Amino acid sequence: MENKSAAKDPEGETIMRELMHRNGFETVRKVRTGKYLRIEVEAENKEKAREIVFKMCNDLRIFNPVIHVCSIREADV
Amino acid sequence: MPLLGGVEVSLAEEEIRKVREILGREPNAVEAGMIDVMWSEHCSYKSSKIVLKQLPKEGERVVVGPGYDAGVVDIGGGYVAVFKIESHNHPSALDPYNGAATGIGGIVRDILCMGARPIALLDSLRFGPLKSSHSKWLLRYVVKGIGDYGNCIGIPTVAGEIEFDESFERNCLVNVVCVGVARRDEIVLARADRPGDLVLLVGGATGRDGIHGVTFASRSLTENSEEDRPAVQVGDPFTKKLLIEATLEAIKTGFIRGLKDLGGGGLTCASSEMAYKGRRGMEIDVSKVHLRETGMTPFEIMLSESQERMLFIVDPAGIDKVTAIMDKYELQWSIIGRVIEEEEIVVKANGEIVARLPTKILADPPTINREAKKPAYLDELLKIEPPPMPSDLSLTLMNLLSSENIASKEWVYRQYDHEVGIRSVVKCGDGDAAVLRILGEDKGIAVASDCNSKHCYLDPYHGGAGAVAEACRNIVSVGAEPVAIVDCLNFGNPEKPEIFWQFKMAVQGIADMCRALSIPCVGGNVSFYNDDEVTGKAVKPSPVVVSLGVVEPLSSIVTMPFKEPGDEVLIVGETFRELGGSEYYYTIHGIEGGKPPIVRFEQERKTLEFVLEAARRGLLKAAHDCSKGGIAVSLAVMSIKSGLGADVDVAAIPAEEMRLDELLFSESHSRFIISTSNEMAEECFKLARKHHVTLSSIGRVKDDGIFLLRFKGEKSLLCKVDDIIEAWKKGFERRMGWG
Amino acid sequence: MVKVAVLQFPGSNCDLDTLYVLRNVIKLDAELVWHREFKANVYDAVVLPGGFSYGDALRAGVIAAYSPAMKHVKEMAREGKPVLGICNGFQILVEAGILPGALVRNDTLTFICKWVYLRLENNKTVFTWKGKVGQVLAMPIAHNEGKYFNDEKGLKELYENEQVVFRYSNINGEVTPEANPNGSLDNIAGICNVERNVLGLMPHPERAAEVILSPYRTKDGLLIFEAMAEFLRGKGVATSRWS
Repeated sequence: MENKSAAKDPEGETIMRELMHRNGFETVRKVRTGKYLRIEVEAENKEKAREIVFKMCNDLRIFNPVIHVCSIREADV
Repeated sequence: MPLLGGVEVSLAEEEIRKVREILGREPNAVEAGMIDVMWSEHCSYKSSKIVLKQLPKEGERVVVGPGYDAGVVDIGGGYVAVFKIESHNHPSALDPYNGAATGIGGIVRDILCMGARPIALLDSLRFGPLKSSHSKWLLRYVVKGIGDYGNCIGIPTVAGEIEFDESFERNCLVNVVCVGVARRDEIVLARADRPGDLVLLVGGATGRDGIHGVTFASRSLTENSEEDRPAVQVGDPFTKKLLIEATLEAIKTGFIRGLKDLGGGGLTCASSEMAYKGRRGMEIDVSKVHLRETGMTPFEIMLSESQERMLFIVDPAGIDKVTAIMDKYELQWSIIGRVIEEEEIVVKANGEIVARLPTKILADPPTINREAKKPAYLDELLKIEPPPMPSDLSLTLMNLLSSENIASKEWVYRQYDHEVGIRSVVKCGDGDAAVLRILGEDKGIAVASDCNSKHCYLDPYHGGAGAVAEACRNIVSVGAEPVAIVDCLNFGNPEKPEIFWQFKMAVQGIADMCRALSIPCVGGNVSFYNDDEVTGKAVKPSPVVVSLGVVEPLSSIVTMPFKEPGDEVLIVGETFRELGGSEYYYTIHGIEGGKPPIVRFEQERKTLEFVLEAARRGLLKAAHDCSKGGIAVSLAVMSIKSGLGADVDVAAIPAEEMRLDELLFSESHSRFIISTSNEMAEECFKLARKHHVTLSSIGRVKDDGIFLLRFKGEKSLLCKVDDIIEAWKKGFERRMGWG
Repeated sequence: MVKVAVLQFPGSNCDLDTLYVLRNVIKLDAELVWHREFKANVYDAVVLPGGFSYGDALRAGVIAAYSPAMKHVKEMAREGKPVLGICNGFQILVEAGILPGALVRNDTLTFICKWVYLRLENNKTVFTWKGKVGQVLAMPIAHNEGKYFNDEKGLKELYENEQVVFRYSNINGEVTPEANPNGSLDNIAGICNVERNVLGLMPHPERAAEVILSPYRTKDGLLIFEAMAEFLRGKGVATSRWS
């Protein structure tokens, strides 16, 4: 989950400007911070697991659609 | 939506006609956007202006009254206090974290741009009951947003209040207050009055944030508000902290001739209001503005509400000195224009004029005289039958103490740094008001915010007056003298006559109370459209009042906890059978109605004067006003805070004829519980007679761990102090859970 | 005349509070120094105040730790000059590797602002030589990332070198789980370097240096500043006493 691309990310900007650029990594062009949840789900297949997580993220306001974008990626446990 | 200058605007047809009439032509798109934003309710106060005129603004301590970014009052010794309250309701309902955080950002800028160092924050919050997970989610993130922002910029959040009621379920209210101090001669006004002065924009880069944020704030929330993304912005407290320090340092150079923050309405609002106040104009070149995004149009730049920006009017002789300070703090800046003789705002882009408007059309839009009608519901609600008396009053008290409206809000204020600044003398939860010392002086500022929306719903006039009364009682009970108020008026859609009636009555109540106490209202904010467009349900009328007082010397400060066993407990004032809108009716009986408390203006004034003099003469060991939950809850909280017990004879409470439960839980105004030593009690009575105030000794502070209320020989209410501590301290935390 | 620097990073916010206490309460010659102008050889001691340097981006203290000013702080630490890190200052000292361990997010997952009790564990440092081991001090904490952490080996070394200076306790000086506000390992609230001229602590002594600010009418925070001041003025005890 991270802020929508049109929204500011002050933390990412500070990390880029004050830490990376200042200490010799001037070629860094963009830093976006976000939050990462690794979720293990019991499900028949990846599609079902994805469905469950998708519903959960919306129902439980795991992210706020007003400001965040959320992407879901499946992997084998 | 109708069209003006070829763009969609949220103005009424009649307003559009007026624009064309004043201007004598069709505005272009940029001009139409600028007018649209400045004529919005949020920027123009078009519905409220006429009503707000009746608030008293004058007073010997008033340095700057309404009309500027914040009120300024003289607190003696060459110092002034600057304070202001603002709502951030609509953004917080959509994104509680960023909405509340940027609310803090905005209110801090308002204080800063008067030239004062912000020293304290308060928050006045309203949500739906916590049994709803949505309300919990809102509260959790509003508190986190306020905390993360305020803590980061190093301004302590020292006081506030929270109310829960079904009417706030879909429309939470997030009002924030900032207090600043300055030397009187350091105050800077938001105006541009000398042609040739330079216009310097400092801080965050301008992006497409919140374009039309204010027109959004002036609209009700709809089902698809969640797609209104650009209206919610991300706060950047780190940049704000730098902006605070850089601004204060720049003011010290003496070259800053005017200063204004960029909030709602962005550059359009800041430039036109400053120019209008200085009776001059301004020329702005949008191609000079430092941008965060590419391809921004003049329309977008003039209307962007990107956070963390300030507009400085700088004497050209000092521009290098001022910009060097911005460089030190690594803040971006650009010189975007100059003050001009002609009273107009001229916007240029790449050498061409893209907008040219008289300042007056932007900064002084026409007002609207709205219709007001008393709602039909009121008379019905006032007439309800009193509920049966509970059989176990001890249990009733425990239930009240642990209710979400009354229980300790420690869960909230633990998350706020309320100590930074080393000024916090009376801290969260220790007194009815927070007290901040003035460093290096034997003097402090007391500040408290109040509003009882349940009272206001049943009687907006006395509710408004009551908010002023209670806020001032809170100031007096820490030993401070109230000197001024500011208000934040949260209501539904003013186009509905019933809502506008509530608004009118509340303002009238505030005005009458201010006059009775000779206290000016030095600023405020109006937030309309706090209603759900789908259900049509509006919030209960919530005129939040912030009172500011001066306490001097600091040794005259009084706090809430009982102090020593054996001390005498007294009640100031009389109790009436006024249970409408009470916490007792709401929490215990689930009743919304009944006769709410009325304010007895003359008596309120006398009571405040008495308590203040008693505090100053050192007669009080503890003081607490009686409000939500009535006498029983006030006494219990004084016990809880000290860990000491009390033995009180309820029959000694001066009151009109009523039942025991009514006597214990009525929320009549003009009352305090005080405690004093046996030696000083006689002095208290003498003083009360002098002020024509009813004072009655009702019991003693005990160290037996028992909280006991007797009535006619019976132990009517008996609780272990440990149990009421548990109920009060855990009531809120249990609902929220830590974390 | 001794001179103390209060080192300001962008986002420091207890800088003025610390300066006020050093100047007005302790009567030391102290001044605010912007991080880019900071030089080790000008000052006899340095205080890294609390706040949110660089907005706590990435991790509290990490960006400041990489700033050139910290090279000068390291030099002062090496020379045996007093270096005091309060709250965010402590976080910076840890991120810069001047003090061992890590400061991570509180167990409550929230910011916590409250008065706590501290048990003094080591009075053989520049900042605590005026106190007694076992003495209980009241001070407020105010932080998000104040949970002290170290691995088993690191913790063992801390104790072997007597680097644990303060632990969260109850009013009786008992170090209990209930007295631990943030989940710190072994209730650790403050530590020093092996040479004992560098102290970092999460609680705020500058907020507890005047009776009027304390809910208990105490001024326990003074102990730390007074010890440092007297050390600087050459009074009190010689360094040999704790080395």
